[in-house]
Amino acid sequence: MTNTSEAASAADDVEAPRFPTSRRTGCPFDPPPEFADLRAVDPMTRMTYPYGQIGWLVTGFEMARAVLSDVRFSSLPEGKLSPVKVPGTELDLDALPPGMFVNMDPPQHTRYRRLLNGHFTVRRVRLMETQIRTIVDGVLDGMERAGSPVDLVEEFAKPIPTMVTTELLGLPLDQREQFQHDVSVLFSLSSSGEEMIESMNRLGGTLAALVAAKRAAPTDDLLGSLVSDTDLTDPELLGITFVLLVAGLETTTNMLALGVFALFQHPEQLAALRADPTLMAPAVDELLRFLSVVQVGPVRVAAEDFEFEGRQVTKGDVVTVSLPAANRDPDRFPDADALDFDRRDSGHIAFGRGVHQCMGHHLARLELEVAYSALLERFPELRLATPAEGVPTREMMVTYGVQRLEVAW
Amino acid sequence: MVITIQVDEDRCCGAGTCVLRAPEVFDQNEIDGTVVLLDEHPADDRAAAVVEAADMCPAGAIKVRRE
Repeated sequence: MTNTSEAASAADDVEAPRFPTSRRTGCPFDPPPEFADLRAVDPMTRMTYPYGQIGWLVTGFEMARAVLSDVRFSSLPEGKLSPVKVPGTELDLDALPPGMFVNMDPPQHTRYRRLLNGHFTVRRVRLMETQIRTIVDGVLDGMERAGSPVDLVEEFAKPIPTMVTTELLGLPLDQREQFQHDVSVLFSLSSSGEEMIESMNRLGGTLAALVAAKRAAPTDDLLGSLVSDTDLTDPELLGITFVLLVAGLETTTNMLALGVFALFQHPEQLAALRADPTLMAPAVDELLRFLSVVQVGPVRVAAEDFEFEGRQVTKGDVVTVSLPAANRDPDRFPDADALDFDRRDSGHIAFGRGVHQCMGHHLARLELEVAYSALLERFPELRLATPAEGVPTREMMVTYGVQRLEVAW
Repeated sequence: MVITIQVDEDRCCGAGTCVLRAPEVFDQNEIDGTVVLLDEHPADDRAAAVVEAADMCPAGAIKVRRE
């Protein structure tokens, strides 16, 4: 720790780097190489934000854990900057409904989290296994009917999380493709401002109508129980439902498709997994670490002036944590760039860290385990139908993944 | 050696990571998902699991003392 403050002050003399976004050609699973270079010099370095402001970038594992666990780094939206340029107009923060607890600090955040946590405990999630299996089997039936080859993104990776999330929340199944589309638009860094506002408004309108309907006729799904059993207001319920829907879709979809692509490109790991199905749980954690699909953020803002790990942090400083960089830190994970199902180490921070750590992590793991297992079992000869170099990736998205994955069997 | 575990229900964010690591020692409250300590002094052979659970707790709500 002795050299870090020197490194930080030396870095102030040269122009601070920008947030790296370009992955190396032929390495679709590896974060942009600049992250490793930055981490080797200083795990928490100065960074230039898109419009010239200077803030911080965290690339080291321990540093990332420390930042995300420290409530002096606030999650409130005021003063937050995106590490990458977001095209279009900024969303009007005052127009957002209350209840969007991802942008809150304790104790406000704690109240919402406590009302929701009961639906995402280990026990509650295990009870959903049969339901998830039924959904996955139905999706695989559809793949078989469509016949080889298919685009795994459209036929597998999108429908499974969409169906699981809409069933869990109690949203109408017939609108799930619209939900899926609108959430995608909101997560894309290349959507126009008009597109984002259109999707935001449509989602908001649909969810508000749904909250009103559940108020009139309560149901026994998650949203229905929040309506009946809590004192949450309708705008709060809208905000909560929005967060849960958004959180449940993009991340899981991209883990599903990118994970299968990674299995194809690591045949020895795939063979080990096929030979020993009990390897699935550690394999899912290793894929979560290796792929760390949330590639932009989380972002925090310093709520006060303080010294942090030998650095002087000033109130208002914006801090971006790179989860892919942290999860490839060789100081924490030996041979960190290797996909190794024998690693048996679930200490990664692909779900974040601190009080905002993904509430649905048990559900995400279960979905991934059930979906990968059933896919490999149903199609013993499953393979990539196009050259790997041609698989289009999603660099300009908050969540990394593949745009299409043509598979054959 | 005696292992003593302390949990801080106020800090707990209900992630349930500890329940996966050491289900014999930790459980979750069904209402709000917060930690329920089942065994304040777990046996030595659980030491590795409870230390891991404390390390992985996203809110830092678990303290393990060994003496």
